[in-house]
Amino acid sequence: MSETTSEPVGEPKGGQKHDGHPGHDHPEEHAGHGHGDAHAHGNSPHLAHHFDSYQQQFDAGKLGIWLFLLTEVLFFAGLFCAYTIYRAMHPEVFVYAHYFLNTTMGAINTCVLLISSLTAAWAVRNAQLGQKSLLMLNIVITIACACTFMVVKYFEYSHKFHDGLLPGPRFHPTEQVWEVESFKLKHPEAAEYAERLAKAAEEKKKKPAAAVAIVPGTEQPTFEKPTEEQLEPLVKAGLIGPLSEEPGGISRPKDAHVFFSCYFFMTGLHGIHVLAGIGVWIWLLVRASKGQFGPKYFGPIDYAALYWHLVDLIWIYLFPLLYLIH
Amino acid sequence: MADEKSETEAKSEAQSAEPKAAAKPHAHENHSQENGHSDHPHDAGHAGHASVGEHVHDHGLAHTMPIPLLVGVLGALMALTLLTVSVTHYDLGSEGNLVIAMVIATVKAGLVVTFFMHLLWDKKFHLILFLTALLFVVLFLSMSSTDRSEYQPRIDEYSQTQAP
Repeated sequence: MSETTSEPVGEPKGGQKHDGHPGHDHPEEHAGHGHGDAHAHGNSPHLAHHFDSYQQQFDAGKLGIWLFLLTEVLFFAGLFCAYTIYRAMHPEVFVYAHYFLNTTMGAINTCVLLISSLTAAWAVRNAQLGQKSLLMLNIVITIACACTFMVVKYFEYSHKFHDGLLPGPRFHPTEQVWEVESFKLKHPEAAEYAERLAKAAEEKKKKPAAAVAIVPGTEQPTFEKPTEEQLEPLVKAGLIGPLSEEPGGISRPKDAHVFFSCYFFMTGLHGIHVLAGIGVWIWLLVRASKGQFGPKYFGPIDYAALYWHLVDLIWIYLFPLLYLIH
Repeated sequence: MADEKSETEAKSEAQSAEPKAAAKPHAHENHSQENGHSDHPHDAGHAGHASVGEHVHDHGLAHTMPIPLLVGVLGALMALTLLTVSVTHYDLGSEGNLVIAMVIATVKAGLVVTFFMHLLWDKKFHLILFLTALLFVVLFLSMSSTDRSEYQPRIDEYSQTQAP
């Protein structure tokens, strides 16, 4: 917008400039220049020479960071689009796969990011008021929270790697979903029933002569008719029925690995943003320690905080979309 | 607005020029400067400040967040996180749970954008920028979603040829 266009310099315009604009009073900005040499900002070390005033410099930077945030929103939108379409087409895959995610860890990470967002916003206030040591403290807490987030993410990722929960052809889960703790807790009857079904299927495989397909719902000699509570979670997760990889038996849903593509790409891209944020905050911590920020010059802190809030914002959506599927 | 201004300026100039001939060159200079100023990019910015003036003018370059508000917003965000986790234990139908989760996430996002990101006190232009991005995200997602089953027959056909 207009704020970015630099003012024509050279014309004398010191005092009259603000006539008729009572909402804006920064006489001190123009004290050092305006008449004659507009390029030398005298004793204003943080005012770049192509800006006329601190206000203009700040507004230009703010517009810049907002434009950057827009590109970030649209950048992530591609992944959210892939997620939306795949979930709409194959809801059973998401029901199946979410049992493998640790909701507690996701919730902890959400809280950690929210706290770091508070300290980032607080840091902006400290910079505006020129509170150097508080500013540094808040930046340190922000960095600490970001590192905590990455450590928790590391444990989650290594757990997934260990369990073979990887995208694409590397997807070889070592555990069946009904053996997973969160599934057992939520649907104890269904887990037990699934175990029996799987054992029976294995036995059938051993002696192919008695090749009777295990179709749930149909009467079988060894099984009583399953109740709704036993059956429904299995059907919903695509373990049995036409969506299963083995339509006659019990297995996982077809193309379940695509969920983990979504999961790793979305959380991975988000994690890269967190890492970049840590780098930016460390840089700003060094600058803050030199006492570079104050009431007239706190832009970098404000811009970094805006970026940080956007990273938080994306996680606010990722958390329910990946961890809290019902 | 610029035209209006220069018009009145010209009128006053014409009036003042009659009795005082000596003042004319000064008035003229003032006029051209004022004209240049009216086209000046800062005009829009000043208008923006004036509308939120009482928040901005006594705090320097931008609004400063009070600490109780910051902490209060964090409290609300934490409470909503707890709510969204606990609501998954209740079955509201698969769609119902998703809708509730998204509504809570959107309320949280709104809190972050409004308070932590200062959009409430910021220039309205930044809000428009942000809403434009969201509009395009919504267009992107909804148009892709309406189209999603379009190629399913071909996918099925392909997977049948791939099947052993």
